[in-house]
Amino acid sequence: MEPAEGKLGQLGERVREALAAERTPSPDIRAARAGFLQQVAVRNFQGGDRRWSLRGAARRWRMLLLLSAAASGAVGLWFWQQLPISFQVGAAATTGRMGDLIEATANEPTPLRFSEGSSLLLQHGSRMRVLSSEPKGARVLLENGAVDVAITHPPGSQAHWRFEAGPFRVLVTGTKFKMEFHSQDLSLKLATEEGQVLVSAPCLAVPKPVSAGERLDLSCLAKVAPVPQLASLSTGPSPLRKDQTADSGRGVPAQNGGSWRELLGAGHLAAGLRAAERANFRQVCQVANPRELLALADAARLFGRAARAVTALRVLRLRFPGSTDASTAAFSLGRLAYERQHDFGEAVHWFATYLREQPSGPLMGDSVGRLMEARLRSGDEIGARKDAAQYLRRFPEGPYASEARGILSN
Amino acid sequence: MLTPLTFVGDDAALMQALRAGHPGAAAAFYDQHAAHVHRTLRSALGPDEDIPDLLQEVFIRALNQIGKLRDFERVRSWLSTIAIFVARGHIRLRARRGWLSVFSPERTRPNHLDQPSSEARQALREVYAVLDEMPLDERMAFVLRFVDGMTLPDTAEACDTSLATVKRRLARAETRFLEAARRRPALEQWLKDGTRWNQQKES
Repeated sequence: MEPAEGKLGQLGERVREALAAERTPSPDIRAARAGFLQQVAVRNFQGGDRRWSLRGAARRWRMLLLLSAAASGAVGLWFWQQLPISFQVGAAATTGRMGDLIEATANEPTPLRFSEGSSLLLQHGSRMRVLSSEPKGARVLLENGAVDVAITHPPGSQAHWRFEAGPFRVLVTGTKFKMEFHSQDLSLKLATEEGQVLVSAPCLAVPKPVSAGERLDLSCLAKVAPVPQLASLSTGPSPLRKDQTADSGRGVPAQNGGSWRELLGAGHLAAGLRAAERANFRQVCQVANPRELLALADAARLFGRAARAVTALRVLRLRFPGSTDASTAAFSLGRLAYERQHDFGEAVHWFATYLREQPSGPLMGDSVGRLMEARLRSGDEIGARKDAAQYLRRFPEGPYASEARGILSN
Repeated sequence: MLTPLTFVGDDAALMQALRAGHPGAAAAFYDQHAAHVHRTLRSALGPDEDIPDLLQEVFIRALNQIGKLRDFERVRSWLSTIAIFVARGHIRLRARRGWLSVFSPERTRPNHLDQPSSEARQALREVYAVLDEMPLDERMAFVLRFVDGMTLPDTAEACDTSLATVKRRLARAETRFLEAARRRPALEQWLKDGTRWNQQKES
């Protein structure tokens, strides 16, 4: 290196040191390792020299941006009209974040106020998430419990709100209603006070409208599709033919001809994800097989769509309880909670779930290591020490071994 | 699914096994080179929460293109080339996200450097703010040469260009960096250490 450039190198060295001080590389490397090897396993499982095009969207993006530039004025106006609504949670009006768990205490309900005027009242002990928002509405997941809903009509147009609870979908166009969902028995109770909602579910042959003054009391538990045999999923084509129009009556639009499935099957994760979104992601999740749900979740995670990934994984666990893939989904939910949402308590829950369901599963080592890290980050040092000891007994040379030793030595 | 068989063998055997799709070889390949690729990505991008995903993407691309790699001894610079390609794409995406974040809060780029920080963190933020203003070709040459500490030939190879071109890019990048650094007081402390930039500034 020439002397003058050596001086430049000095500054570079300081940058390098500052970068190293920001964050140690090992968590990144470990996180990517698991994902990479999962991709390799999926590719080998698919049995071919499949190629992935993770960033295949780049060319289309460039084209889109060029077109956007050509019509910048119109696009700018359009964007302003597309501002998604925001929301505030609780009496303190804390700014809400997409995908975060909102849990009402056992003593009092939690109000949510949306910027376009709609409001929700999450009843005590209930759990929900706002999965995404758009200019005229939002997508809300009621995980368990009851919520009172009052939707405001935007002036001159129609509201677009979707509520999801287990297998149920409630489409709202501007109304007041109460809904209650219990995940244990997949039951939904809904009472509409004003306007009308449309309820769909895999156990309903056709979507059911519920108008003002009407009530609906429904359970899908006895009617959900049987769990497919994993052996049949791991070999041969998907159980759903791509020419199926109504997808065995499970309500998936046929206009996309199963293209999301073909793209995912070919390993085109980005294109598969986009196609699934075009075909209504939630409905796609209701007909996808476990491997496809894992691939959708992985694609969503890779492309920064954490909420979508969570959706796919939760649907997988709901639709295929007790399966190995449901346990893998628990592990992936733990990763998302840890890496994306920094919700270490949630991560502990999911890694512990995986270990409970698959005590000798292939992700056991990774799960114990991650559980140890998540416990430590959530402040449970005693739990982290137990995990560290357990990890070192089983994997004295494993990728988390040095961290485990560090925890025990402190 | 994630505990592949352990691969045992030399570099040539590893390459052959990778081409044959041996999952244990993929793990061994990753373990050998992940730290190098991570360093390259981090130098190119600065602190970024998407680095684990990008790291994964580099190796997926590498596996897809492993048939094109003729000389296994060049594997590190070959991986650097892929990493730089992926990083360039990410910088473009990040710029778009930054613009679109106004409309979509869910996709706003989280930035560790926005947190209250030490002097070093402040200077680091300034360095990458300056780099963010540079043309991508010049930025990549600059970070590979001075942050990653690569030789000129390796920098040229990683940038997938000739030695002469990379020298021109570096010269332009230095000039731009100096110009921009003059407008950023937080960089002063780092530039006071007798660097070439400081000398130019005084002249």
